[in-house]
Amino acid sequence: MAIEISNIIEDWVPDNSKVIDFGCGDGSLLHKLKKDKNILGYGLEINDKKIISCLEKGVSVIKQDIDMGLGEFESLGFDIAIMARSIQCLKEPSLALNRMLSLSKECVVTLPNLGYWRCRINLATGRMPVTPDLPSSWHETENIHLCTINDFEKLCSDESITIKQKVFLNPNGKEGIMSSINPNFYATEGVYLLEKK
Amino acid sequence: MKVETKIFNFEDGIDLENGTKLSSFELIVEMYGELNEDKSNAVLLCHAFSGNHHAAGKNDEGLIGWWDQLVGPEKAIDTNKFFVVCCNNLGGCSGSSGPTTVNPNNGEIYGSSFPQVSVVDWVNSQKMLTDKLGISKWHFIAGGSLGGMQALQWSISYPDYVLKAGIFAAAAKSSTQNIALNEVAREAIRKDPNFLNGEYIAKGVKPKDGIKTARMLGHITYLSEENMDLRFGRKFQDADSKISGEVDFEVENYLQYKGEKFSESFDANSYIIMTKAMDNYDFAKDDDTLSKSVRNIKASLLIIGFYSDWLYPPERGKEIQVAAIRENINSSYIVLEGEQGHDSFLFKTEKYEEAIKKFID
Repeated sequence: MAIEISNIIEDWVPDNSKVIDFGCGDGSLLHKLKKDKNILGYGLEINDKKIISCLEKGVSVIKQDIDMGLGEFESLGFDIAIMARSIQCLKEPSLALNRMLSLSKECVVTLPNLGYWRCRINLATGRMPVTPDLPSSWHETENIHLCTINDFEKLCSDESITIKQKVFLNPNGKEGIMSSINPNFYATEGVYLLEKK
Repeated sequence: MKVETKIFNFEDGIDLENGTKLSSFELIVEMYGELNEDKSNAVLLCHAFSGNHHAAGKNDEGLIGWWDQLVGPEKAIDTNKFFVVCCNNLGGCSGSSGPTTVNPNNGEIYGSSFPQVSVVDWVNSQKMLTDKLGISKWHFIAGGSLGGMQALQWSISYPDYVLKAGIFAAAAKSSTQNIALNEVAREAIRKDPNFLNGEYIAKGVKPKDGIKTARMLGHITYLSEENMDLRFGRKFQDADSKISGEVDFEVENYLQYKGEKFSESFDANSYIIMTKAMDNYDFAKDDDTLSKSVRNIKASLLIIGFYSDWLYPPERGKEIQVAAIRENINSSYIVLEGEQGHDSFLFKTEKYEEAIKKFID
């Protein structure tokens, strides 16, 4: 994960909070949050290699497929849930979003933007987008539910989810001027802090 | 690997969970590796129902330890780094006080008069051993099945003494099905004409047939259906290696062989005590929820289940973890393939080894 994104997320995560990270990968983010913000963190991950990396870092990890449901994590007292670059890999993103918000007060979601201009050029030339940010070809990618920034914000609005904060990043992983003015065209990634109305 | 076998005597005895007291007792212990200066590298292994203190390496009788695949120099639990301790539990039959040892109060063999011990009693007796060894905190306490229950109970009973705990193929309590299967095994033992209400040692006999049948049933529950299919299929046993003329299939021969071997070495009263301890375990029984029971845990937990284990399926481990998360306890839960059913916790696989290694290093 880009340093910029993890710094943005870190700003939103309260000190000493209880955090659940869906699709926590090798546990880097939780490890950083534990060090910098003294959080109590738990990560969900399905890849065994990444799980081992979590154990190595002393990050608590749970082997679980998010698509298989998250029922047992309700009422466990999470302050904040994180889903970084995973929502587009899920079979039912909308369901997962609502579940996340039912088991924690707030939720951080980051997602790649299919509306980014290079993706549009790819599509205009008749090919599925392959960019530094979305490097896999259509038949190899885990991203089965890609969307644009506008699509995602529409989903939030339809589902009565409040966007408390949002930050848009350019291909360098920074908050650029252009990506702030017209994120749906210039941003490669959206970072959101959400809350259920 | 430096191995030391030692018998520790506890002359002050121990108060048991069932209200009785053992006025004195002994524990036989195997120790591997060396305790470092600040005594911070100690690992305690808790054995399962039919295990004993011989966890690693080859003993004088040429037997390989029950967790040798994972315990030893440069293995998952590295005896070059850690001082590893394993004792035969109270009520066992491998050298610690149990039904086959002499009751110091009357000079007679305990037999069926050995009190019913529990997981909590084992943990308490291991705590007394801990004090004798001068260890104030175990770096890691681990076990599979009934051993996993002890690792869990340690974390609950003595939170300040456990840094990390490994709970493998275990549960917070035995299921109804677990109890039912154990009762069939016990019934086979009790109905053996040589059982004599548990007083067979005094009469110079042994209820071998009963133990054998019990163990045959046990072995079916330790394996998965798929593993049995792969290993034996419907193959017929070749005539030369048949254990008896009544055997047709390989799987029959396997069960006959395993049962027979076990019946020669294991004690019937121990079988009953150990399985009852397993059945009786319910770590939440004194509280209304699992959560309350785990509230005081300070250790980080590593809970591992195996997909092919139907005796203590992975979901049982998940229950422990969900309670632990609710109570803000650091805990990881992973499920591994493990082809050997419930027995998977005994066998090394790359992921299992790696998970333990990274967790404890």
